Amino acid sequence: MSDEEHHFESKADAGASKTFPQQAGTIRKNGYIVIKNRPCKVVEVSTSKTGKHGHAKCHFVGIDIFTGKKLEDIVPSSHNCDVPHVNRIDYQLIDISEDGFVSLLTDSGGTKDDLRLPTDENLLSQIKDGFADGKDLVVSVMSSMGEEQICALKDIGPK
Amino acid sequence: RLEFVPAEKEALFYQVNQAILGNHGIDVQFAGIKFLESLVSEFSPSTSSAMGLPREFHEQCRRSLELDNLKTFYRWTQEAASRVTNRIIESDSAVPEPGSDWRDVLISSSHAGWLLSLYAALRLKFSCEGYWLDCPIAVSARKLIVQFCSLTGTVFLSDDGKMHEQHLLQLLSGIIEWVDPPDVVSKAIENGKSDSEMLDGCRALLAIANVTTPYAFDSLLKSMRPIGTLTFLSMLMSEVIKVLMTSNTEEETWSWEARDVLLDTWTAILTPINTINVNALLPSEGIKAAANLFGFIVECELRLASATAFNDEGDSDYLHASVSAMDERLSCYALIARASIDVTIPLLVRVFSERVARLNQGRGIIDLTETLEELYSLLLIIGHVIADEGEGEIPLVPNTIQTQFVVNAVEADKHPVILLSSSIIKFAEQCLSPEMRASVFSARLMESIIWFLARWSRTYLMSSDGIGEKIIDSGHHHEHSSKKALLCFFGEHNQGKLVLDIIVRISLITLASYPGEKDLQGLTCYQLLHSLVQQKHICVHLVTLNSWHELATAFSSEKTLLLLDTAHQRSLAQTLVRSASGIRNSEVSSQYVRNLMGPITTYIVEISSKNNFKSISQQPDILLSVSCMLERLRGAASASEPRTQKAIYELGFSVMSPILVLLEVYKHESAVIYLLLKFVVDWVDGQITYLEAQETAAVVNFCMRLLQLYSSHNIGKVNFFFSLKFRLLLFQISLSLSSSLLSEAKTDKYRDLRALLQLLSSLCSKDMIDFSSDSIEAQGTNISQVVYFGLHMITPLISMDLLKYPKLCHDYFSLLSHILEVYPETFAQLNSDAFAHILGTLDFGLHHQDADVVSKCLRALQALASYHYKETGSGNIGLGAHTVSLKDSSGSVQEGLLSRFLRSLLKLLLFEDYSSDLISVAADALLPLILCEQSLYQRLGNELIERQANPTLRSRLANALHALTSANQLSSSLDRINYQRFRKNLNSFLVEVRGFLRTM
Repeated sequence: MSDEEHHFESKADAGASKTFPQQAGTIRKNGYIVIKNRPCKVVEVSTSKTGKHGHAKCHFVGIDIFTGKKLEDIVPSSHNCDVPHVNRIDYQLIDISEDGFVSLLTDSGGTKDDLRLPTDENLLSQIKDGFADGKDLVVSVMSSMGEEQICALKDIGPK
Repeated sequence: RLEFVPAEKEALFYQVNQAILGNHGIDVQFAGIKFLESLVSEFSPSTSSAMGLPREFHEQCRRSLELDNLKTFYRWTQEAASRVTNRIIESDSAVPEPGSDWRDVLISSSHAGWLLSLYAALRLKFSCEGYWLDCPIAVSARKLIVQFCSLTGTVFLSDDGKMHEQHLLQLLSGIIEWVDPPDVVSKAIENGKSDSEMLDGCRALLAIANVTTPYAFDSLLKSMRPIGTLTFLSMLMSEVIKVLMTSNTEEETWSWEARDVLLDTWTAILTPINTINVNALLPSEGIKAAANLFGFIVECELRLASATAFNDEGDSDYLHASVSAMDERLSCYALIARASIDVTIPLLVRVFSERVARLNQGRGIIDLTETLEELYSLLLIIGHVIADEGEGEIPLVPNTIQTQFVVNAVEADKHPVILLSSSIIKFAEQCLSPEMRASVFSARLMESIIWFLARWSRTYLMSSDGIGEKIIDSGHHHEHSSKKALLCFFGEHNQGKLVLDIIVRISLITLASYPGEKDLQGLTCYQLLHSLVQQKHICVHLVTLNSWHELATAFSSEKTLLLLDTAHQRSLAQTLVRSASGIRNSEVSSQYVRNLMGPITTYIVEISSKNNFKSISQQPDILLSVSCMLERLRGAASASEPRTQKAIYELGFSVMSPILVLLEVYKHESAVIYLLLKFVVDWVDGQITYLEAQETAAVVNFCMRLLQLYSSHNIGKVNFFFSLKFRLLLFQISLSLSSSLLSEAKTDKYRDLRALLQLLSSLCSKDMIDFSSDSIEAQGTNISQVVYFGLHMITPLISMDLLKYPKLCHDYFSLLSHILEVYPETFAQLNSDAFAHILGTLDFGLHHQDADVVSKCLRALQALASYHYKETGSGNIGLGAHTVSLKDSSGSVQEGLLSRFLRSLLKLLLFEDYSSDLISVAADALLPLILCEQSLYQRLGNELIERQANPTLRSRLANALHALTSANQLSSSLDRINYQRFRKNLNSFLVEVRGFLRTM
């Protein structure tokens, strides 16, 4: 996703906080955390001390939920970390336009047309092929910190 | 082997003997010894070998070997040894516990003396060639000498141990050369000499300590040296520790091993100290030796602590690991210290106060890290010396502390143990001041303080054994006065309450003022507070303390404790609720629980009824606080006791609907769902037996809705995961649903299902144990219906894959066999899909490797078959259509369930591997099956007989089959006596035929 898109989408989040502070010691594996300003899923937490009688520190390894990149951070366990608000919404897929945008049906009956196809090759080809075969597809859209991306796909059509 | 007639055997052995004696040249000689070695090693262990022969056969061989030949072998080997010494041990090491008939060869032949002098002679000869100590002959000679040290029992004459003593003296005179003088030996090893001889020397000392009394052990050396063995042991160990401390590496060096062996030696000598008086156990010289050694150990441990104070800690479980790994070592140090308690306790008092003084002087001026680490070590050592762990029971005051001090009750506060305890508590109390906390009380130091307080308080704080009165009655004033003084001093009428208050205030500090220090807080919750509320008489005082109410208030209405790890919060809720058992009035105790938990239920009720809950539910802060609250509810629910039961019922009742809302909203948050299920499980488990009919109806209804909602969310999901496996392409998966995620999702499912099974089991128990005043049927609640309905919903979620989780498998089959035994009639009403699914799992369970699971399945089968048999006997349909063979759509015949299981059970019994413990349970299942399906059984029996080609075996089989159903006046009723008869029959049947059926 490019930077310009952040601008548009942040409007949708207006009023809602993008992140929440949470004590580093309470963040667990499989939770979320912001590392270097990116929303990440925590895949590893370990604690250590600065010398035996120092304070405890948490060492986090996170995977950027949008790009899949691995990021790491060390935070004193009594300090606060930012935890991103991650939302998942399912939409039915209506159309794929030629310029790579998708058209999605919202709960209220309107359409959402501002999302690109995902960059992940595997998922991309599944969506394209499924759509071409005329299947009823539902996509999960994950949004966090003003960014959105299709992250999963379900076939709800008859077998 | 056994089949050989004795003459052949002798001939064979004669050949071997000739070979060994070297008559056929060196190669044959070698081969002969090898043959003996393999013969001995094949038959000496009492386990069966890879040859797959039955164990009993081996047992026979071993016995005959031992009786007839082993001793002969030994002689031969000994003779051969004079020519080929380097193979001497190869059969000796297999010597089983020798009895008196071994005396002539082992003891009287002075073989030991010969071996010792051989070793000594060779040792001298090769003294300039260092490699020799490690060459096979030296290694095996030493090994044999160590073995000789551990000889004991009837191999010696019963002459007051004189013969044994003589034997040990002889051995020790040789062994002592390997380790004495300690400093010279250790220096030589540090300079490159092999450590093997020194280590074997330590092992020999251990072996001797294991077979002698401390007095005898000590006097052994006196005949050859001016000191006793204990003094020597103390010197040797000091030397080893010195080397260990100076090398200070993580690697396992020789000094590590030597220390461990020598510590074992001390343990062997000192363990009786816990039951008998030290003076009766040890000579005074030995007590002095122990005191010196302990002093040196403390010195070294402190030196080590300060040397490693600045090391970084990588591992998060370090404290836990270090305490439990060090535990064994520290326990042994404690034994040594307790051998001379009147010297070592004052020593510890002195060392501790020196370190504390150093802290006070240096505070704010110099870096105190080294002193902090010294205190950390010291607290661990002191904790071990003055108190035992207890392992779940209330430990007693250690025996030597009870008996060694002579205390005048008036001067109780001068008792060294009281002095030591008081000075540690006084020191710990200083952490209540913020400045002291900032400058002195690091998290790690606090960990050791909390650990110490937990251990110490279990023994000394308000001890409940009412010993004071008992002692005066029994007249043993002197002997127990030390214990009495101690327990009175920290008893409830003296300093006890004051100390308890200090402990609670320190706990609150570690929970609230050490943010993020999870280990410290875990220790506080699980070790310290948890063990306090386990004792009712302490609870009585706890609930009167202001500090305890401060803790309760902080928990229920302040934000700080929400930052604790969620599992710690659960434990804290449990602890706080449990303390209500100390409130005598039941209304007051209910009110206490309501005050404590009220804000938590209010939070859950309020948040779940918010209009926008669905949209805010995923926010991290909401997610976190919902999880915390659920954990707290679960903690409270698991602390349910008769006195607080009502209050906890109300607590759960008030969150029933909110729980269902949460279940819906968080259906994609498996972690929250799990917490929620666990809360319901614990709550129902704690409540169900007490509930009145109306309450039961409400709870059962709630569980029903919970189950429905859960399965409606999850059926699709599970199917989805299944399909994934087989139809990867059709059901497109995204990158994020990688295989690891898939298995994670499966683990989540597993945990959930297990919780649900536990819930159903708890519900079932209502029919068994019920303390309510009216019958539940009064309200029209039929538990079996509910449980069946639950099973109906859950079984589709239980896949064979999930049954591979042992705990789940176990829970599932317990529930299944329980239900089938208690309510077989409802089973018949299940729809055919659920029915088939359950049968499928039974079939799976029947062939499970866990005998427990198999026996549960067999019970279930027995219940089904006997139900059907009894019902049809009285003209009912029983299991009806399920027992009839059907043709399914594809034309193949689906056998009825009873025939199917009769067939597979027979097959299992005759041809497959199973534990013999299962035979009686299998008999109980087989009998009703045979009775239900007589004709099929006849047919199967005939098939078996016809397949048997050998006429002898054939008639044996026919007879056995006949006897199975006719011997012992077996009738066709299903009563207890008949079941017993059939068990016997089946046993003899299997003994008779299984052998040849399996092997032919």
